Formats: sequence, structure tokens, C-alpha cells
Amino acid sequence: MTQLRELAPRHRTVPGSKLVAPLSTAALALSATAYVAAVAPGETGHYPACPFWYVTGYYCPGCGSLRAVHDLAHGDVPAALAHNPLTVLAAPYLLWAWITWVRRTLTGKPERYMAPPWVLWTLLAVIMAFWVLRNVPGFEFLAP
Amino acid sequence: MSYGAPPPPQPPYGAMPPGQPPMGGPPSNNLVWAILTTILCCLPLGVVSIVFAAQVNGKWAAGDVVGAQDSANKAKQFAMWSAIAAAVGMVVYLIFAVLIAGSAGFSS
Repeated sequence: MTQLRELAPRHRTVPGSKLVAPLSTAALALSATAYVAAVAPGETGHYPACPFWYVTGYYCPGCGSLRAVHDLAHGDVPAALAHNPLTVLAAPYLLWAWITWVRRTLTGKPERYMAPPWVLWTLLAVIMAFWVLRNVPGFEFLAP
Repeated sequence: MSYGAPPPPQPPYGAMPPGQPPMGGPPSNNLVWAILTTILCCLPLGVVSIVFAAQVNGKWAAGDVVGAQDSANKAKQFAMWSAIAAAVGMVVYLIFAVLIAGSAGFSS
């Protein structure tokens, strides 16, 4: 490992240039959100349909996420929850992940915290249950 | 733009050599990419990525450094391939949309 380290090129970075990746990611995400906010996903012809839904006729866990992003960008949380609650849950997580990325980049220290495994298994179970239930009669409120 | 933009550049974790001792910190479980591909890509392949992401945390907690790194790589690969599949699908869709619009323009 020490040999690898010695062979690795040493970067001389301009202050702030380390943040190019996080900042360009943020710019990309913001412009994509602005586009979805401006071009309504609810109308036919604006965006292609979900391939899973198109092929199988069933909703996938991501169906309605574009509409949910559109709703969130317009500050309409209830509508976003109705279209895709997982997107509403994912938004703060993605923001938090971005903040820790910036922090890692600035300090140079790797992330020490790891969520307990059951958190991720629960997330998986929630996604799978959501996937099934939103296609089941009686749970139409989960459909996009 | 339907599936969201292609995933942005990887965080600097990828630069870490595999099998790095614990002093380097746990490997990234790439959960961000797993979630992005599951929720924004419409492609259920991202769910597989979440399975591997969960394995990373489990194996790391059990002290299995090599196994955690292996699962982290798989989580990244599944997220990457589902994003690539989404991008390819989008390009194919756009080509068809242009062709159909073109032929409709000629016929009408």
C-alpha cells in the first residue's frame, strides 16, 4: 500500500478547486430540477413513460418521481407525497449526502459513520412493499 | 431528461485501493447511486444495488473488510449499469420520437 501511495501522482491543487466535482454536481442537479419544474411531467409528450410501466403495465417504485420533483420544486409537498412519497423521503437524504461529500472533500478525512445494516434492509423492505402495494387494489393512494 | 441526468462524477472514494485496512474508513456503500437509479431512473435494477449497499454495512460491521469492499464495488456496478441502461433507453426513445415526428410531418 505504501508503494501505491508513493506511485500516486501528487496533486498541487488551487484552493477551492477540490470543490469542482461537488459544485458541478449541484449545478447539474439544480438545472435538472429547474427543467422539470418548468416543463410539467404530468402532460403527455413532455417526457417518455417509465419503461417498466410501459412494458409490464405495473408501477415501479420510481413511477411518479418526475411529477414529485416538479411538485417539490413548486413547494407543493402534499402533491409530491401523492405522486411518489419515496422521492420526498430521498430529497433530504440526497442533500445530506451532498453536504457530507463537501465536508469529506474539504477536510480530506474519509467518512467514519456507517448506518447500522438494519436501516438499509428496512429501506429495501419499504421499497419492495411500496412497489407491490401501489399496484394492489385498495392501495390506490400509493399509485402515482 | 426523463430519467434524470446521468450520474454525476464519483466521489473521491473510488481512488482508494481495494482491501484498504480499516484505518482508511469504511468503503462507500454507494447508496446515493442506488437510490438515484431506483427512484429517478424507473429501472428496478437499482434495487439490486440497494441489496449490495446493505451488504456493505453488514459486512463492515462484522469486520469483513474485503467482503465490504467487494459488495461496495457490486453496488456501484449495478447502479452504473442501470444508469447506462436508462441513458441508452432515453437515446433510443429520442431517436424514435424524432423519427415518428418526422414521418408524421411528412404524412400530414
